[in-house]
Amino acid sequence: MQIKVNGQSHDLAVQDNALLIEVIRDQLQLTGTHNGCDTTQCGCCTVLMNETAVKSCTILAKQAEGASIQTIEGLAKDQLHPVQQAFSEEHGLQCGYCTPGMIMSTVYLLQRHPDPTDEQIKEGLAGNICRCTGYVNIIKAVKSAAKKIQDATI
Amino acid sequence: MNNFQFHTALNTSSAKEVFSSNENAKFLSGGMTLLPSMKHGLIQPEHLIDLCKIPNLNQIRDSQEYLIIGATTKHDTVANSDIVKSSIPGLAMLASLIGDPQVRARGTIGGSLANNDPAADYPSGALALKAQIVTDRREISADDFFTGFYSTALEEDEIITEIKFAKPVKSVYEKCKQSASGYALAGVFIAVYPNNEIRVAVTGVGAGVFRWKEAEVAFLASGTKPVLDRDDLISDLHAPSAYRVNMAQVLFNKAASKIKNN
Amino acid sequence: MNAPQKLLRKEDYRLITGQGKFTSDWYYDDMCYAYMIRSPYAHGIIHSIDYEQVKNSPGVIRVITAQDVEAAGMKTLPTGATMQNPDGQNQILAPMPVLATDKVRFVGQPIAMVIAKTYEEAKRAAELVDMNIETLEAVTSFDSATEANAPKLHDHVEGNLSLHFVKGDQAATEKAFENATYVSSMSVKSQRLIGSPMELRSVVAKYDSLSDRYIIHTPNQGILGMLGALEHITGIPKSQIDLQTQDVGGSFGIRGGAFSESALSLLAAKLVGKPIKWVGTRSEIFLSDWHGRGLELNGFIALDSNGKILGLRFENKADLGAYTCYFGSFIGARNVSITMNGVYDIPALSMSSELYFTNTVPVSAYRGAGRPDIAYAIERLIDHAAHEHGFDPIELRRKNFIQPHQFPYNNQIGSVYDSGEFDRLLNRALEMSDYANFEERRQKALANNKLRGIGLAYFLEASGAGTAPKDQVIGQFTQDGILQIFGVTGASGQGHETSFSQIVEEKIGISHDQIQYFAGQSDKLMVGSGTGGSRTLYGAGSAIVNLCEQILEKSKPIAAQLMKVSIDQLTFRNGAWHAEGGNPFSISEIAKQLFVEGQPNQLNATGEASSGATYPNGCHVAEVEIDPDTGVTEIIQYVAVDDVGVAISPTLVQGQIHGGIVQGIGQAFYEQAIYDESGQLLTGSFMDYAMPKAGCLMNIKTEKIVVPTKNNILGSKGVGESGCSGSLPTLSNAVISALRPKGITEMDMPYTPAKVWMALQNSN
Repeated sequence: MQIKVNGQSHDLAVQDNALLIEVIRDQLQLTGTHNGCDTTQCGCCTVLMNETAVKSCTILAKQAEGASIQTIEGLAKDQLHPVQQAFSEEHGLQCGYCTPGMIMSTVYLLQRHPDPTDEQIKEGLAGNICRCTGYVNIIKAVKSAAKKIQDATI
Repeated sequence: MNNFQFHTALNTSSAKEVFSSNENAKFLSGGMTLLPSMKHGLIQPEHLIDLCKIPNLNQIRDSQEYLIIGATTKHDTVANSDIVKSSIPGLAMLASLIGDPQVRARGTIGGSLANNDPAADYPSGALALKAQIVTDRREISADDFFTGFYSTALEEDEIITEIKFAKPVKSVYEKCKQSASGYALAGVFIAVYPNNEIRVAVTGVGAGVFRWKEAEVAFLASGTKPVLDRDDLISDLHAPSAYRVNMAQVLFNKAASKIKNN
Repeated sequence: MNAPQKLLRKEDYRLITGQGKFTSDWYYDDMCYAYMIRSPYAHGIIHSIDYEQVKNSPGVIRVITAQDVEAAGMKTLPTGATMQNPDGQNQILAPMPVLATDKVRFVGQPIAMVIAKTYEEAKRAAELVDMNIETLEAVTSFDSATEANAPKLHDHVEGNLSLHFVKGDQAATEKAFENATYVSSMSVKSQRLIGSPMELRSVVAKYDSLSDRYIIHTPNQGILGMLGALEHITGIPKSQIDLQTQDVGGSFGIRGGAFSESALSLLAAKLVGKPIKWVGTRSEIFLSDWHGRGLELNGFIALDSNGKILGLRFENKADLGAYTCYFGSFIGARNVSITMNGVYDIPALSMSSELYFTNTVPVSAYRGAGRPDIAYAIERLIDHAAHEHGFDPIELRRKNFIQPHQFPYNNQIGSVYDSGEFDRLLNRALEMSDYANFEERRQKALANNKLRGIGLAYFLEASGAGTAPKDQVIGQFTQDGILQIFGVTGASGQGHETSFSQIVEEKIGISHDQIQYFAGQSDKLMVGSGTGGSRTLYGAGSAIVNLCEQILEKSKPIAAQLMKVSIDQLTFRNGAWHAEGGNPFSISEIAKQLFVEGQPNQLNATGEASSGATYPNGCHVAEVEIDPDTGVTEIIQYVAVDDVGVAISPTLVQGQIHGGIVQGIGQAFYEQAIYDESGQLLTGSFMDYAMPKAGCLMNIKTEKIVVPTKNNILGSKGVGESGCSGSLPTLSNAVISALRPKGITEMDMPYTPAKVWMALQNSN
């Protein structure tokens, strides 16, 4: 089946019961997307599918046929994405396991709410669990990234 | 997950045909409830028939009397739709409270209704809004659609195509989330229709969605606290039934105030 | 891509770009997949297990059974040092077998490992196992485990009681209570938790028959601890195992030792002759990672008429789970005793703990390992005593603080506290939280039908002395002047690479991007403790300070030679050796020059330090608001004033405090591992086990007050577990403060909305 990942088109032989995360990790060797639970709660597997944040552990690869997927590896272009930069600067990551998913959810959140309120941030990250940071610096990172993006577009 | 064959349906008749000509087949919409069940081995279909590529099954349109939402319309589409927000704001509210952003990006209204989880949100909206569930072969009224714990009036191979919601004068949905799963510990939908017709539907509290008649009466006679007393009230490790009843009352009051003060 | 912009930590670049390497990110050609067969029963006798259908299932290569484990001569999982009963008898141990042999004793207990070509095939094969297990009655609580005629988990353990641990001076304490004017008691439960680090535990193992060596990848907290455990279990010498782990997704004490799956993977890799990968699912991890806490602490306090504490006594119950595993026994015994007086000068202390078995997942260390629990118990008791007998809770604490001049303070029960200025931190916390004006805020909230409460706790916790006599690090330079440091620690998010580089940069001026820290390389054997007990920064960090001193020493004569001056003309500043009239030489330049001259190893050294236990402490204040209609608690503000000694990396320290506090919020408001009577885990996944999410804590103010310790070179006290020790008592006291006007003075965590609301209804 055809699928575009991080801008590159692929024609893959995919099993019917393969999950999108399995194709991303095992077939395409993009291991930045992580599996953290089995009840679609934790969000470690979050990627952008047609620019929308989705949980790749609960999507069949076949459902993503023809879609354009962006994983954490595809975020930085010439330089780090403002969200990536902000996460580091604000110490919004410790062990890093939830981080790719958290970053992709943040990218999606800021697309929809460029200047998010606290409520919108809480809601935007409701599908991502972190056990290390306590979220305090993650929320700071989201706000910092929002500012960076706004400043860049001025 | 077990091995199965994946079929992409391009129209409802071919979807039905694939379903009937194969043993142990299931329809797939958003997959937000079906796929987790399959991952846990609770359901092991041998054929999955994807309905999401069927054109025009994900449209939202406005007729005089009804707001009509296609079965494969995603939750966040409903939540953000201007049409929904203006004609049935309670429904947009409801859709925005389902799960989390990633789940809302994939889950569909048809899938949610067909599953009829006792703690899902859409069943309360459908019941309160006098919904007509339109399938490939008939229309089923919401009053008849929800038949019990995870069960509906749908026939095995019946496919929901769209849902017609009777446009109310006012509508609000309030929800108390179970803090782990995000499902409703209690969810209350109030729909106000002309001539003092009030419909209040509750989810998360009993074995399935139900109309709360005492609340409908209480809405018109302000100041009374509606009693909620049923045989099938849920008590589980998250909350005893007394708490659920309390939350239903609290949510009802909150929703009622919002409507009356608006 | 251009060079990355300034990032906070060295670890960050790979983690934010998805280039981290966690265990399941390792792939080998020809790899096969393992799936565990686990007990579906909480308690039962294994009569027979038929693997025939499993073996014949498509794709199956091998099934590793208890027979294989026996044939390989594997031992049981380590149990930690044995403690003694007051009558001199040793603790009755019940170590966990790698695979169940005669009985199963908890749901999830490993029974066999199926190896197949794909994960799906292994899983499907596992479902075909035919188990003939006679189920027995299960016990899942102290009461049911210790009542007369309770089913015995282990034949050799009467009444399911592993140990009756006693500490302190019972006679003196009894006397103190006899002489007391006031006595109070408070019983608290620190409920069983499921640690849930985000990385799912996994193992990848490979065996090379030619060299008879293994490679294993698995999350751990330090190479020596993991290798030691693997050697103990499998008998394979450490020197034959290459443990390679780059990134670990959270640990919190759970990953210190080897689990069955790690030992089995080594065996499987050899038997099958192919690389083996095992990855747990979250539901599986819920049933196989050691659980945390599970304590009941019953405290009794005796006061004189002025409120001076005369004595303190605890009678505790500790749930071990089904087996004595690793650290489990220490938590409810030693760990809750060593700081049982908290920050108070108490002349008479005594404790008794009963450690018992239940048909549940074994318990081991989880962030704080008993210290948050005892801090919780003490601070709830103090608050309760104050309210019961009409003392101001703040002044009652102040009156009993250990005073600065009393340090080092021997609490007579196993700890010598290094330093502290408790009054100072208390005052700062009161100031930052505007404690004095709380009553006004409470009244305002009441007018809005909301119940406000303010909770204060002063906690003190013991950071680990470590398991090794000293910590060592090896430093060696590369041709490019890069300093590579090798240590024994195991990071799982703490930022060791960054903190250690910072220490070096500050000491000898090598730029942090010229420093690389490697935790746990098998070919670099050193002495040292793994990560645990909040001690890595001061433990390994002190060794790094020593390393720097040695490098500096070694570099001096070399610099003199290179600069053609005499040694006494040299001064070291700004990261380089300077002499009158000559060009300065930095350490890196000296290192590079040595390579040029064909003498590459002259600057290399092994740094070492012995660091004693330290006592980080702090005063936290939480203001909460409860909606009596819904039972929902909102944290209005959280103030944390901490003494962690010298803070090398303040931002990382703050991150640890945030993380610890939110894990405390998890325990206080959301989490509990709940078993039903038959021993099934009802909270079996994130659908039912609620984890704190973004926004659970919005308004937090943290501050550090430095009171250095003399117990290590850096003067640092450690911080990793402080957040938990502070938050449990603080949040509990806050909730009770909000509910006390309604007549509620006791309630156990988690304070879920339903629980709080029900309590309010029952109090009316």
